[in-house]
Amino acid sequence: MIALTGRCLCGSLSYQTRGSPFLSVYCHCESCRRATASPVTGLFCMNRGQVTWEGERRYHRSSPGVTRGFCGTCGTAMHYMTTRWPGEIHLYAATLDDPTLFTPSAHMHWADRVPWLQIADTLPKHPRALP
Amino acid sequence: MSVLTGRCLCGALRYTAPARPKWTALCHCESCRRAASAPVVAWMGFDEDAVTWHGPRAIFASSEIARRGFCPTCGTQMSFQSTRWPGEIHLYAASLDDPERYIPDLHCHHGEHLSWLKIVDDLPRHERSAPS
Repeated sequence: MIALTGRCLCGSLSYQTRGSPFLSVYCHCESCRRATASPVTGLFCMNRGQVTWEGERRYHRSSPGVTRGFCGTCGTAMHYMTTRWPGEIHLYAATLDDPTLFTPSAHMHWADRVPWLQIADTLPKHPRALP
Repeated sequence: MSVLTGRCLCGALRYTAPARPKWTALCHCESCRRAASAPVVAWMGFDEDAVTWHGPRAIFASSEIARRGFCPTCGTQMSFQSTRWPGEIHLYAASLDDPERYIPDLHCHHGEHLSWLKIVDDLPRHERSAPS
């Protein structure tokens, strides 16, 4: 996988990556669930320099050190950045032009999952963040 | 009388809704997935007049018949309305203050589901919209 492309719902914000993600995971944390209005989301992690954006991003600081980017026109959540992992950007698998390319390797914040979404797979399930 | 309350990520947009949704559904359609940035979303249906909003709600017309509401401050998706279901408004279970109260009734648009999300349950799975 050399390049990934993705976009928001309205298409006014898009991105292209150079290279493949170094990590792809499900996140069940309350903050991601609320940001994506969903019971679980999928994220893939890149170095910021590997991602080129087209269009205007709006930002929300959801907690100290955390910046979430979204499309101001349609609201689609696009990425997560934190000073805890400087230089990284985490993008949402569901924004990929071809989301079937996403290959999750683990669940994180499994302890925070909602009880009504019954996921059964053989992936590692970390109660909190990755070790 | 008990009610449901919910909010966006930043808390600037909140709602109050009846304790019992008219219906609930897990939706796998591409539009919902892309709007929310998630592989599946969980809906609750209400009469539009029964939901009270507090705070500004931005509206995006995602098709000729659909209007999606979101928080202009943090982007959280908050509502869906369509001329296909006049008088109704659909809210996201994940925006509930207590999302554990949610009980999904069925899967809709399962024909569009992403194969990497392995959900196992006994709920009905409709290839497209659920019959009303």
